[in-house]
Amino acid sequence: MQKFFRRNFAGYAFLSPWLIGFFLLAIGPILASLYLSFTKYNVVRPPQWIGLDNYFYMFQFDQRFWKAMQVTFTFVVISVPLKLIFALGVAMALDKGIRAIGWYRALFYLPSILGGSIAVAILWRQLFNYDGVINSILRLVGLDGPYWLADPKYSLWTLIVLAIWQFGSPMLIFLAGLRAIPQELYEAAEIDAAGPIKKFFAITVPLLAPVIFFNLVLQMIEAFKSFSGAFIISGGAGAPLDSLLFFTVYLYNEAFSFLRMGYASALAWVLLLIIALFTAIAFWTSKYWVHYENERG
Amino acid sequence: MSRLTRRTFLGASGSVLALAAMGRPAFAQAAEIRHFWWGNPERDKRTFEVIEIFNGKNPDIKVSGETLGFADYFTKLTTQIAGGNMPDVIQQGYGVLFEYIANGAIVPLDDYVGKSLDISRMDQSAIDAGTVDGKFYALSIGANSHMAMYNTRLFEEAGIVPGETFDPYGYTYDELSEFAAAIKEATGVPGTDDNTADYQNFSDFVGQKGAMLYNEDGSYGPTQEIVEEYWATWEKIRNAGGTPPGPESAGLSGVSDLALMGVVTGKSAMTYLWSNQLVGVQGLMQDKLGAAMYPNTAEMLPGSVVQPSQFVCLTRDSANPEAATTYMSAFVNDLDMTAVLGLERGIPSQSEVRAALQPNLTEVEALSVEFFDKIQGKTATLPPPPPSGSGEVEQTFERLAVNVLLGERSIPEVASDFLAQAQAILARA
Repeated sequence: MQKFFRRNFAGYAFLSPWLIGFFLLAIGPILASLYLSFTKYNVVRPPQWIGLDNYFYMFQFDQRFWKAMQVTFTFVVISVPLKLIFALGVAMALDKGIRAIGWYRALFYLPSILGGSIAVAILWRQLFNYDGVINSILRLVGLDGPYWLADPKYSLWTLIVLAIWQFGSPMLIFLAGLRAIPQELYEAAEIDAAGPIKKFFAITVPLLAPVIFFNLVLQMIEAFKSFSGAFIISGGAGAPLDSLLFFTVYLYNEAFSFLRMGYASALAWVLLLIIALFTAIAFWTSKYWVHYENERG
Repeated sequence: MSRLTRRTFLGASGSVLALAAMGRPAFAQAAEIRHFWWGNPERDKRTFEVIEIFNGKNPDIKVSGETLGFADYFTKLTTQIAGGNMPDVIQQGYGVLFEYIANGAIVPLDDYVGKSLDISRMDQSAIDAGTVDGKFYALSIGANSHMAMYNTRLFEEAGIVPGETFDPYGYTYDELSEFAAAIKEATGVPGTDDNTADYQNFSDFVGQKGAMLYNEDGSYGPTQEIVEEYWATWEKIRNAGGTPPGPESAGLSGVSDLALMGVVTGKSAMTYLWSNQLVGVQGLMQDKLGAAMYPNTAEMLPGSVVQPSQFVCLTRDSANPEAATTYMSAFVNDLDMTAVLGLERGIPSQSEVRAALQPNLTEVEALSVEFFDKIQGKTATLPPPPPSGSGEVEQTFERLAVNVLLGERSIPEVASDFLAQAQAILARA
């Protein structure tokens, strides 16, 4: 034991800024929120232990909780595949050896840097306002655009478009993955007279599967946690008619508008479990569609 | 760029330490007081100026100001409560105030009255409004009432003349419906905001129907009939063409930013707010504003109340309550400071301050004072403080009313849904 420490001391010493941060700033609050999820806590008064009541209330009585689940799942199920398809499409276009590719990569990555920011969410609101840019363009061609943000039929779509627009990081990862596919395979396929579609499904997709899987898991987690866009565009409360009541927005409202920190902590833990569950499902199904080159087949 | 070597780094950090050590006694001399308020650009400008005047007069106290928009104010305050670092002096409104008192975040001022805090010239009604269970907690910094603000140019263009074709202190919803449509006809701008999702107007309407928002036992007062009638009343005005289209009003539900109000953006000719906001709204506009009460039913029962618009309160986190209450006292009594504050937070509750302001009122401030004179005898008595959960009931109303604005569900259906949810919220609070 002592020998182990002497040998690894330097390593831990160098890690210590991160370790201290992790134990103090991450583990502490995580455990505190687990405890708080079993209490009634309004910040001003000390927490009061109420056992599983928060969880019972959530699943049995809370209509807005179910609404938030519905909104969040709709968003994840629609935005994640579309974003990945879009990112893959752009990556394949950029993989063709265009001149000044560095510029294009940077250009397409730019929205992802800006994407999570408040400024872009505000810009989005301006674009999709009834007298915003989108409707002005539609008016030029004689169309009367709807109230994109005030009408619950459309509001979620504005956020899905915002999410897809931030395709930069999966695109870069796809691009790296595409580069790793040996060109001989395509050449061999061409000799066998395979068209572009055949090549895509027979070579690109299977060989890219690990990268697709990686992007899928990452983007799914990100979509479940998505907050700032919905918060800004919905005026902080999930409006209109709770159509933008993302799970995180609801959680924020319960915690900071209504001071139900205990209940909000319970919501946070439910979100964590949902994300863990779906990640586990993704890993489990990956056995059937993701193959690694170095695996013995 | 010079390279940072180990020696220069150590040297630099050493001198920082030395500076910090030397600087300390100098800082410790002045008591530092933090004052936090929600505001608008006009209020922020005035309040920072007032802080400077106070700091100039009191070298032993150093006040610093912090401000946010209303929407974020209470969020920040909440996190500060949890962190035990609330500012010394905070602004509170009638309503939420009582939740903070009940929870102990705000402390009584009785120990400082007559010493660092002078309330000898405050109106008794203002003192009473800040008193809970015999203890004095909250210092009123202005009285307030519901006010409809209209664009005088648009009214004039449509031939609506206050005092002749329109009585600002006693008009009915039916009359509003008529002249709002006439304004739309004449100017292209709808005559009024649509208040379907406006809880403030709804609370007036409840009073006008002879009911109370909260019963004595704390249960919810409005009946199914009242809620339905309220929404039907606004539906009629909307269908007559007097308001912006439903979806547009839906997009503004729950919005508190003055710059987005219909009368400011030019999307309507009349907006419904609090009387103290008149100064702030006028500051955002070119056209001159007129002041009116909220519309009423034909029976003309009073629905609006006069209440303290805002209070300053002392928090339990204040390390120096003596200095904090000295500042609070000056905030309501010092004539140089109150001259700068003017009527921006409402009509001052201190008689001497009111008298000193009278000769120097700006046009818009004079309008506020005139409004207050005219509504005397037309307002209802101040109800007891709302129970906890009332803020959430308000948000639920605004959320569900959007169904009505968009025509998604029938009015009776939304009304019964709202009442069921309101009762559930109050039961859970």
